[in-house]
Amino acid sequence: MITTMSLRDSLLDSAKEVFETMAFMALEEVHEDQEAPRLEDETLLGTITFKGNLEGCLAICCGWHCARAIGANMLGTDPDEPMSDDEMSDAIGEIANMVMGAMKARIQDEVGTVEVSIPSVVRGRELRNSLGDRASKITVTVNLEEEHGMQFSLLYRESGD
Amino acid sequence: MGKSLMIVDDSATMRKIIMRTVRMSGLEFDRTEEAGSGVEALQKLEGGPVDVMLCDINMPEMNGTELVKKARELPSCSGTKIVMVSTESAQDLIDQVMSDGADGYITKPFTPEKFQEKLAPLLN
Repeated sequence: MITTMSLRDSLLDSAKEVFETMAFMALEEVHEDQEAPRLEDETLLGTITFKGNLEGCLAICCGWHCARAIGANMLGTDPDEPMSDDEMSDAIGEIANMVMGAMKARIQDEVGTVEVSIPSVVRGRELRNSLGDRASKITVTVNLEEEHGMQFSLLYRESGD
Repeated sequence: MGKSLMIVDDSATMRKIIMRTVRMSGLEFDRTEEAGSGVEALQKLEGGPVDVMLCDINMPEMNGTELVKKARELPSCSGTKIVMVSTESAQDLIDQVMSDGADGYITKPFTPEKFQEKLAPLLN
């Protein structure tokens, strides 16, 4: 059985690896005793589901301006250049996909094979994801480039729970 | 003679990122093209081969492992070097796709150095 702390560390390490490698951006965890950067009202929620001995959903939630900055960095374009909603959504979906992939590599020795879906992204206000009452949830709030607030969350349950 | 490259990924953003990373790696291709699905890639390959194909695995319609098998059935693709680029890192999947006909495997997230390391030997 994998521990909550192990999953949390894997989630954060995976997110850092993906952002540093693919978006050339640094992220730092915001601890409970620190003031969390405010999440914009208009947010994008990128999700990817997984199933196997561990099943659930990994989600990334960030504001529109944050998503735009991530997309621009990933594509190597000027942040002031126009970017379509589709491009921004695609960038957040790919981030979710890669964080899930990096996390899967970290936990597969403990949880075995995990199958992953294709990511999806929605845009709106006060977005929440849920997996029912029996699911556990890990939420990690981060500060991206000391400018943007972001949240990573993992809703999960072990099969047979 | 110049080399040609095809990038196959259902994400337009990821295709651009891969293209950018290939450029950053210092590898040079005279002709590059993209395909948004395995089906589109096969159609393009039937029209003419490429030297290197970088191919995602998790794609709708036709996934990357199916594409590798079908591409290897095309006489025009016998010399094409196929390198998978995927978030999947399970060794049994990597072994399977290599035995199906892939020539290399790069996991996401990736770096320009990784592309140089995996692609340069295939281009010589």
